[in-house]
Amino acid sequence: MISVLAWLVLGLPLLGCVILSLWPGEPDRRVTRVLGVGMPAVSFVLTAIIFATFLGRDADDRLEITTLWNWVQSDGLSIDLSLQIDTLSVMMMLVITGVGSLIVLYSTEYMEHDRDYRRFFAEMGFFLFAMLLLVEAANFFFLIVGWGLVGLASYLLIGFYYDRPPAVAAAKKAFVVNVVGDVGMVLAAFLLVRELGTLDYGEVFQTAPEGLGMDTGVATAVALLLFVGAAAKSAQIPLHTWLPDAMEGPTPVSALIHAATMVTAGVYMIVRCNVLYQLAPVAGDVVAVVGAATLLMAATIALVQVDIKRVLAWSTVSQIGYMIMGAGLGVYDGAMFHFLTHAFFKALLFLAVGIAIHALAGEQSLDRMGGLRRHLRLTHVAVLVGCLAIAGIPPFSGFFSKDEILATALDAGSLGVACAIVGLIGAGLTAFYMFRLFFRAFWGSEPEGGYPHAPHNPGWAMSLPVVILSIGAATAGFLQVPGGWQLITDWLEPTILADPGLEPTSAAQWFVSIVSVSLAVVAIALAWWVFAADPQRRLRLAAAATGPRAVLADQYRFDEVYEEVLIQPGRDLGDALTNGVERYAVQGTVEGVVRGFLDMGRGLRAAQTGLVRSYVFAMIAGLVAVGVIFSLAMR
Amino acid sequence: MSSVLAMGTAAVGDPQEGVPLALYLGVSGGLFLLGLLGVLTRRNPLLLFLAVELLLNSANLSLVGFSRYWNVTDGHVFALVVMVVAAAEVVIGLGLVVAVFRQRLALDVDQMSSMKG
Amino acid sequence: MGERIVFTIAAASALASGTLVVTLKEPFRATVALIGTLLSLAVLFVLLAAPFVAAIQVIVYAGAIVVLFLFVIAYLGERPLVEIGDRLGRYQVFAWLAVIVLGIQGFIVLGTTKLDGFRDDPKVVSDIGSPEAIGRSFIDSYIVPFEATSLVLLVAAIGAVMLAKRAVKSEGGR
Repeated sequence: MISVLAWLVLGLPLLGCVILSLWPGEPDRRVTRVLGVGMPAVSFVLTAIIFATFLGRDADDRLEITTLWNWVQSDGLSIDLSLQIDTLSVMMMLVITGVGSLIVLYSTEYMEHDRDYRRFFAEMGFFLFAMLLLVEAANFFFLIVGWGLVGLASYLLIGFYYDRPPAVAAAKKAFVVNVVGDVGMVLAAFLLVRELGTLDYGEVFQTAPEGLGMDTGVATAVALLLFVGAAAKSAQIPLHTWLPDAMEGPTPVSALIHAATMVTAGVYMIVRCNVLYQLAPVAGDVVAVVGAATLLMAATIALVQVDIKRVLAWSTVSQIGYMIMGAGLGVYDGAMFHFLTHAFFKALLFLAVGIAIHALAGEQSLDRMGGLRRHLRLTHVAVLVGCLAIAGIPPFSGFFSKDEILATALDAGSLGVACAIVGLIGAGLTAFYMFRLFFRAFWGSEPEGGYPHAPHNPGWAMSLPVVILSIGAATAGFLQVPGGWQLITDWLEPTILADPGLEPTSAAQWFVSIVSVSLAVVAIALAWWVFAADPQRRLRLAAAATGPRAVLADQYRFDEVYEEVLIQPGRDLGDALTNGVERYAVQGTVEGVVRGFLDMGRGLRAAQTGLVRSYVFAMIAGLVAVGVIFSLAMR
Repeated sequence: MSSVLAMGTAAVGDPQEGVPLALYLGVSGGLFLLGLLGVLTRRNPLLLFLAVELLLNSANLSLVGFSRYWNVTDGHVFALVVMVVAAAEVVIGLGLVVAVFRQRLALDVDQMSSMKG
Repeated sequence: MGERIVFTIAAASALASGTLVVTLKEPFRATVALIGTLLSLAVLFVLLAAPFVAAIQVIVYAGAIVVLFLFVIAYLGERPLVEIGDRLGRYQVFAWLAVIVLGIQGFIVLGTTKLDGFRDDPKVVSDIGSPEAIGRSFIDSYIVPFEATSLVLLVAAIGAVMLAKRAVKSEGGR
């Protein structure tokens, strides 16, 4: 039964997408809403049933592999169209369908004024299908297929407003950067086929210790190449440049794809491949370092961003850095726990901020916001909850998940300690910039001249998801309480086949908790002092630090460097090839052939004089020639 | 008409005093060359056709000459057919000349070169 | 003996009038020269034991075809193009070249061919040229060409009628 449910969960969003796409003409909005929200919602219910069924089973029994048919059967490689439903994939599926359904519901009102209503929900359905395929796949082949399809969905949704050049450019950028990641994944798959002869998860993870060996070049290569894919999809350095630009898409898209689900695919993959990463400690260290570096860098950039969605985007990059760092160190349960809480509070923040943007008729700049708490009360509370969660203030969820990672990291050698310190610094920065956003948008005074339209409160379709996510952001932390129970770790245990066995000591946990909370409180107070207490103070301080601010505002110039080093040479190469090879070799050859034929024709035409006598003469000349030849031959 | 041949009681196949075939063919060839010269040189279509008649006639002479050489009637038959064809050709050709004349175009074969190119 | 004399005269006459046909500038005079050629050839046909063909030559060729020519010349009126001079001098050279080369070739062939009795006195022939012989030949062996020629004549007649129609613009000109 679980098999059937698994396929339905995967297929229903796709079905919704197909029906919406093929509907002749513009379907009635109610139809679009029913299909667009109904399918993901049903998928969620079915996923919940799978979850409940699993709960009723023993821990070792929580695994179902279901195959439709054999996809590729060639000499030495067999790939099936199969799904693997285990605790890890169920966890992902719950978030994808659950948060996904809430966000799609929210979109029914948010996208109300858009004339491409149907296209939006079709593309969202397609995205959900692709993401579910990614997490339900039972082998690397379909993981990569899902990976690519998710990238396509992202492209379509980022470029939803396709008549806006910045949106189109952002979509292209996202896709191109992700292709780099795809190449890494595919190369890793090649290595796996060559070394192990299979792409099936079960077989790979079983034969890897033998087939790849411990700490060998091949093992490290596979792990690193897979991480290239993860880095691209999860926007880690240096493949992170696409995520901030992806904010060009509609806010629900940012919430679902670029906060809660797609960007976490990298984390999922690393956790899924824990066996491979345990075989390649060097790769694991690289992953952790990249995660830590990204975490810190993104937090610093978020300090000076003016576009409210960009703040959240860089915050996402930073938080995923936490997850990646944790996964690299081997804190798999911590990384997945943080994924769960982050899905709640980041989606909550995006949707709540979306309400504000919607209420202000599209305004996204913090410079033109202020005092919204007087107009949007519910939203104000929701954003507050989200900010407290992300800042790691107990008892909100972010506190538990973030500290889980950092405390366990302390048990992971000297690199772990260094990462934990970085993480703590990042926590402080996170609290600061999130409350900067909160105070500037919701407190203080309204921007000069007031608001052009009075900000209006949203309807139930937008409010209900926000409320539900707020509850999740507030309470999800209690799934794993240090010194109490660890539901997440227990749940994931069957899938973490190569557990490094890191255990946070209670001393470590107390240390991390106290330091992180203290830093957060200090940061929040500082933010209040700068942004809320005296409205002019921030301007004075900003004027004093223009140098560093400029660097941060430019996002450390990554885009400019890429433009200089990669893109412009690419363009130059294209130009050179066009002018050199294309014009002369290709076109020249083709034209040369044509010209040759034309010349030949023109030459032959000279015989067509139109004069009778020349034709007669030609005949006679032929006759003479024949006669001469004959007479010579006869001799 | 065989009176010309009935000079003495010669049997069929016996050589008799007369003109060898070679000479007849020489005349035929000469007429052919003259006709050729005319075709290649003349610009008036009428004069051109006259030269063509010469060519046809030279062919007829050859046919009849050889017919006599082989002692068969086939050559005569062929010559008669050639004459019919010549007649038909002259009809059409002169019709063309008249048509051209009616169009007020120059009766100059060199100027009738719209098939050029 | 007499045959040879007649042959010489007829041959010379044919070649001479042929030259005139090709040389004279005015169509009428050239046509008259053609008559001369045709009649000389008729004599040669008689010498070649082809009396019927000779008769037809005179009746059809000299009697009908040439008359056709004369009709057209008369219709065309006073001065159809008189040859001013050959602007395409090249072709003059080509023409003479071709003629000379062919002539030499022909001469060589006539002189060296090994055909039996080619250059000797002719042999006596049976009755091959009489109307009866030709008629038999047509009916016995060449009935199809016989019918075909009538078809050719029909086509020519239709063509002539078509050409005579004034409305035809696509023939031979703009």
